[in-house]
Amino acid sequence: MTDFEGLLRALTSVGVDFILVGGVAARAHGSARLTQDLDVVYSRAPDNVARLVAALEPLEAYLRGAPPGLPFVLDVATVTRGLNFTLTTRLGDLDLLGEITGGGRYEDLLTGTLELSLFGLRCRCLSLESLIHVKRAAGRPRDLEAIAELEALREERDR
Amino acid sequence: MHSGHEADGAPGRVFDLDPVVEAYKKDVDRTLLRENLRRTPDERLRALVDLQRFADELRRAGREARGR
Repeated sequence: MTDFEGLLRALTSVGVDFILVGGVAARAHGSARLTQDLDVVYSRAPDNVARLVAALEPLEAYLRGAPPGLPFVLDVATVTRGLNFTLTTRLGDLDLLGEITGGGRYEDLLTGTLELSLFGLRCRCLSLESLIHVKRAAGRPRDLEAIAELEALREERDR
Repeated sequence: MHSGHEADGAPGRVFDLDPVVEAYKKDVDRTLLRENLRRTPDERLRALVDLQRFADELRRAGREARGR
């Protein structure tokens, strides 16, 4: 079971610049769907990557689904060379996204975000409108049910 | 009308999302959404944690039942 509060606390405690996206962001807006992992888009600015690595170092982040024993270390060089990482940590599953289909990078997404208080922490989260836009732009068949729910949620919110 | 593209990593495959989305929308439980909208974002995430615990317990009970 993913400890959402613990992961968010780890990221915010060292000032990582990130945006909540995916199922947890949808849930924060009122979605009823169950989600198992935390998806964040992180800023790839070098100082932010350093903070991100520092935040995750105690959590023993490892590639999700990979066989044990691979020489994987989530350090600044690894994050800089890579982009998106699906990880398992001591606090549960975390998707670190440098870029998302249909939405781009952290800086591209910023204008479509809002700050929410979650578990007593201030977290930047993709807005409901942006979540719908990103999922529609990505056009993945597996997102169709989620898009339907998010649009219904927007209709209910705006009634 | 909105057209989607790049279906599951298959560039060039173009399809129309809207009829499918509208069809799915008919099955959305709006009473749950209305209930969630009455909550704060913080309360919504705490409810997710409760739901996670419940799902975990169901999985555990399922494994236990199969093991008998």
